[in-house]
Amino acid sequence: MRLELGTFPVTDVVFGAQTRYDAGRLAVDRDSVLAAVRQDPRIATAELELARPGESVRIWPVRDVIEPRIKVQGPGVCYPGICGRDIATVGEGRTHRLAGVGVVEVSSVNWHDAGGDYVETYLDMAGHYGEMYPYRELVNLCLVVEPDATLGEEIKNYAVHKAALTVSDRLGEAVRSLTPPEREVFELTPVDPALPRVIYLWCVHSPQAMSGSPTAFCTATYGLTQLTPPWYLHPNEILDGALTGPYRTAFAMSWTVANNPLLLDLYRRHGRDWNFLGVISLRTEWTTQTEKQLMANQTAKLAKQLGAQGAVVTWDAGGNEFIEVVRSIQACERLGIKTVFLTSEDDATDGAPTMLEPLPEADAIVSTSFFKNVTLGVPEAPAVGRVIGLPTKKILRGSTIGLHAGADATLPTAGPLPVPWRYDDHYGFNSLSCIE
Amino acid sequence: MISAIYDFALTTGANRVIKGARIEHVCGDPTLSAEKDYALGMRIVTTALETLTIAVPGPTLFDPMAPGKPQEGAHAS
Repeated sequence: MRLELGTFPVTDVVFGAQTRYDAGRLAVDRDSVLAAVRQDPRIATAELELARPGESVRIWPVRDVIEPRIKVQGPGVCYPGICGRDIATVGEGRTHRLAGVGVVEVSSVNWHDAGGDYVETYLDMAGHYGEMYPYRELVNLCLVVEPDATLGEEIKNYAVHKAALTVSDRLGEAVRSLTPPEREVFELTPVDPALPRVIYLWCVHSPQAMSGSPTAFCTATYGLTQLTPPWYLHPNEILDGALTGPYRTAFAMSWTVANNPLLLDLYRRHGRDWNFLGVISLRTEWTTQTEKQLMANQTAKLAKQLGAQGAVVTWDAGGNEFIEVVRSIQACERLGIKTVFLTSEDDATDGAPTMLEPLPEADAIVSTSFFKNVTLGVPEAPAVGRVIGLPTKKILRGSTIGLHAGADATLPTAGPLPVPWRYDDHYGFNSLSCIE
Repeated sequence: MISAIYDFALTTGANRVIKGARIEHVCGDPTLSAEKDYALGMRIVTTALETLTIAVPGPTLFDPMAPGKPQEGAHAS
């Protein structure tokens, strides 16, 4: 499987008469892009706005940030399966990407209506809070979109994410027939057999148990989010977006999945420092001990069968999902596969361990610091000059922002505003680490 | 302690651990009929109450679906 990834760097985005790319400048025909979005009868309102790095702008709330990618040669479409897109196996041929631009999905639609998880991520284009996230460096084209209010939550989720992908596709089309300024070929070529064989265990949350629906919206594998046994994916599939979509945290978004620095580094050093075997993607939040242990056993067995001598492990969740993640590490170690675990940490209240189940086999851990902004002591984000999205935030029972204001109060989103509860750098974008 | 992830309860030192149904419905199963859901819940809770009368040497696992001999407190296996 060979994939040529052509990169078109974007340094500025403007609204113009035609959607086109020229030497780093991306012009967007706002009316025609919005017309494409509004073709979907499930969409009630849609607007496009721009947010540039350094501006006193807050985007509220943010469901997802998408990097425009488009399939130029080879089977399938980028970001396959999700929201009803083609499910042909991707990873082959040529893909073009627009780097430095994000399509931001701004909508009040919540992940599901079972409670517990709220869309409360927001982005600032300047200031201390904005600087904590890689999206601040992007020129962000924000789709402020609301669906028909009479629809069910799941349909609403699919409608607004499809709308954001429609914008992403339209931008991608602008570079379909152009020659990319930068090219990189990704292929798992045969390498020196003496090199150590390394696999990436990429654990991804499933919302099935919490929502009660096997088709609830979340980061998806070819569109599927349900609890499934481990998947073996070629890294090219992931570069083409076979694993995509957001959930809950600012670091679990389409953009961060597509630009995961750990995956890219594992891939780029294939043949030099190790033999990269690809990705085992494990769904998490199984809800019995037996299932958690079974998934751990099968993940380790699959890794062993693929010849892995080492495994790098990440996850994108919290709580009980730690069990199947750390048990997978334990199972790998017991089969002789050395593991390294990249994870955030909980706070050490009353001397409790910063990990739910600290097992002795998980003895090589890279910390990306605390997963809660509150533990990190991040001060509230200052007031901003402009808000893209909703002007107020209603405090719901279970909200993590603005609790001090009391239930059913509304806060002006222009701020100052408390930061979201979660931080959780899943893939090591930043350099924060443990506090000794 | 009734828990669906009972190994974790055992490793954290709970003396009597009873296998629950699932994390999202520890003492029942909403996919069953109301009568069967009630019966399952009764069985789990009754088992839990009965274990209070049993002396245990340390963390010990009880399975409501296999009453009788308690299982050894397995540690992270």
